[in-house]
Amino acid sequence: MTELATQELPQHQSWWGETFRRLAAGKLNLFCLAVVVAYTMLACYGEYVYFASRAADKTPTYNIPDIGVKYLPPSLFRSRTAAVEGVKPTAWEHFLTHPLGTDGLGRDVLQRLIQGTRIAFRVGIITSLIAIPIGVLLGCLAGYFGGRVDDFVVWIYSTFASIPGLLFILAIAMIAGQGEKGVYLGIGLTTWVGLCRLIRGEVIKHKERPYVQAARVLGLSSGRIMFRHILPNVFHIVIVTFTIRFPAAVGTEVILSFLGIGMKGEPSWGVMISNARLQLWQGIWWEMTFVTLAIFFLVLSFNVLGDALRDALDPRLREDSTS
Amino acid sequence: MLRYIIRRFLQMIPTVIGVIIVTFILFNLAGGSQARSALGERASVEALEEYDEIRGFNRPLLFGWWTRTRALEDTSFEHNAGFWRDVKGAAHYPPEGKLASRVHLKPGLMYEIPLAFDLREDASYRLRIRYRTAPNSTSAVVVKTRTGVDGTAGTEERETRAKMNPSAKWQKVDTLIESEENVASRSFFVEVGGTDIEVESISLRRRMDSPWHSQFTFYLLQIAHFDFGVSSSTNQRVSDLLRAGIGPSLALTIPIFVVGLFASVSLSLVCAFFRNRFVDRFFVVVAVGLMSINYLIFIIAGQYLLAYRWELFPVWGFESWRYLTLPVLIGVVSGLGSSLRFYRTIMLDEMYRDYVRTAFAKGAGKKNVLFKHVLKNAMVPILTNIVIAIPFLYTGSLLLETFFGIPGLGYLAINAINSSDVDVIRAIVLIGSILFVVANLITDISYAAVDPRVKLP
Repeated sequence: MTELATQELPQHQSWWGETFRRLAAGKLNLFCLAVVVAYTMLACYGEYVYFASRAADKTPTYNIPDIGVKYLPPSLFRSRTAAVEGVKPTAWEHFLTHPLGTDGLGRDVLQRLIQGTRIAFRVGIITSLIAIPIGVLLGCLAGYFGGRVDDFVVWIYSTFASIPGLLFILAIAMIAGQGEKGVYLGIGLTTWVGLCRLIRGEVIKHKERPYVQAARVLGLSSGRIMFRHILPNVFHIVIVTFTIRFPAAVGTEVILSFLGIGMKGEPSWGVMISNARLQLWQGIWWEMTFVTLAIFFLVLSFNVLGDALRDALDPRLREDSTS
Repeated sequence: MLRYIIRRFLQMIPTVIGVIIVTFILFNLAGGSQARSALGERASVEALEEYDEIRGFNRPLLFGWWTRTRALEDTSFEHNAGFWRDVKGAAHYPPEGKLASRVHLKPGLMYEIPLAFDLREDASYRLRIRYRTAPNSTSAVVVKTRTGVDGTAGTEERETRAKMNPSAKWQKVDTLIESEENVASRSFFVEVGGTDIEVESISLRRRMDSPWHSQFTFYLLQIAHFDFGVSSSTNQRVSDLLRAGIGPSLALTIPIFVVGLFASVSLSLVCAFFRNRFVDRFFVVVAVGLMSINYLIFIIAGQYLLAYRWELFPVWGFESWRYLTLPVLIGVVSGLGSSLRFYRTIMLDEMYRDYVRTAFAKGAGKKNVLFKHVLKNAMVPILTNIVIAIPFLYTGSLLLETFFGIPGLGYLAINAINSSDVDVIRAIVLIGSILFVVANLITDISYAAVDPRVKLP
């Protein structure tokens, strides 16, 4: 009795709160989270610029050529006299005009990088919106119903898994009409297999748990049990999958756009790399360098976060820590 | 064992069928008109028809007697008159109070259906017209469609009449040209009697010899004969192109695979040996860093810095083994990050097993345990990974081959995609998938040979 009274009850913590606490245990994780947030804000700003210029029916500034300032190096790497207007600007003004230089048509590299971030986020999010529902739905159905349904789903995903990845994406993108839509469909329709497999496995495990059997005894419908009872318990897989597939999708888009099958007319990172590659041979290093760094930091942050989230969300590790 | 192999082999069949269906859906069903994108917007109708004929695209999709022909593309007259503009005496305007317009034909005139090219002599054709009388007309109407020279009376004439009461109901009239008919000019004429008619659509269909002569059976027969068609850009047989490409591809991918495997397994052993010490941490950081660099960047940076600036390697080409060294190096380094992490996890998993503790307990040295016990047991997942990777050796490396001008299958695939060369891509995708399925089969059978538990159903 006295023992019970003195025992402190663990403070209630929400699921997300607990996850964040575990994530925040590593300084590097927090830093990567901050980087991802910063990229997200840049992407939102890029979206704003994009829609503002579309609403005003104007060519966006990042796409307007200005031959007068072509191949301008980044502001730290050029002398102040070589300024745009011919008038000697203040140091601050000098620093802020084309801070990352311009490309072969005199377009500002920084603005184009921000647009590239916007497109990368679109690709990451839209392809996830295609792939994750397919994977979750098929995985739940296969795991829950078993039997013929399971056989059918396993057949579909083993077929998809057999087809060489990049070629499959390229083929879909080619058929869907080369462009933005082709990229989304190509990546979205081919990358649900891994998630489907994981969800199926977990659902099979959960199906035998007492809480599911209780729900069945109560006479709840299969759909309700699957999506309201089991799915929240396996949802951590979806979150981890999202953080892992996001950078992968961005990387694939870069390759598709570079090959000329992806984005057209908009400065996606792949398009920028493809332009910058030719300039590189003439010693124009800045566009290539900055695109490389932009992709590197985004993908690195997502990779680190994905690993950390996998540990933070793993139910087995959670139970260990509370016991 | 034999029973297991047979059972496992039978399980493979549905996947192969699935791959065939997916490639069929991808290239025949979803693709729409591949002929246009392959031959360009300016290609003549005859060229497009020939393209479809070679690839079986001018057949019914799955099953059926009738198939479209490019001699007369299906036109809906709602928005424009289409080919009907060129027909004398026909008018195209919307009926009163309606937005959608129709083609109107007047009585007393003979209209020739404009065909893009002469119809084939060995096939039967059917012309179907959907029409109705103009809403305000009251008299009876006769629609005649004729075939033959000028549609004039004579031995070559053939007439189909469709009578109807004046009403606003849609009617159809069919005319046939049989394949045996020996007519000088295989063309169709329409003649209207009585009153104006309003035409909704005109369609021409070719009759197949058998309803089974479909795109799908054509594709299956192609696969059965190991015939993958003809490249539309180079006009070479796809099987010849594949045969020429496989050598250079393997010359590139096998060294990448072997060197990469050796490097990542030995580094992972080093990591396991120094677990949680500086060396291990260092390699983990390097691995995550390498994984975060885009594949393209490895290639561009390697080609620019190592080959162009520092002139250590040839920049481009495929003449001797020296031309392969840089692509192989890039391939190894770019793949090192993820495989190092993968093998390190496997090694560390093994490190916690009971037998390792026993080995340590009996006094075996760390090096001894690592190489004699851990590596041997880790061989199973490593081997799985190897066998699964083998089919991907065949497709080569799309990007490396393109950048360094290595005439392998990856180079072929990229060119084919850029020129919408359906047969080539389809063949590469299909063969790659089937090799993957076969590799899976081999893995499972070799598992069963080693471990009897696998054979249990």
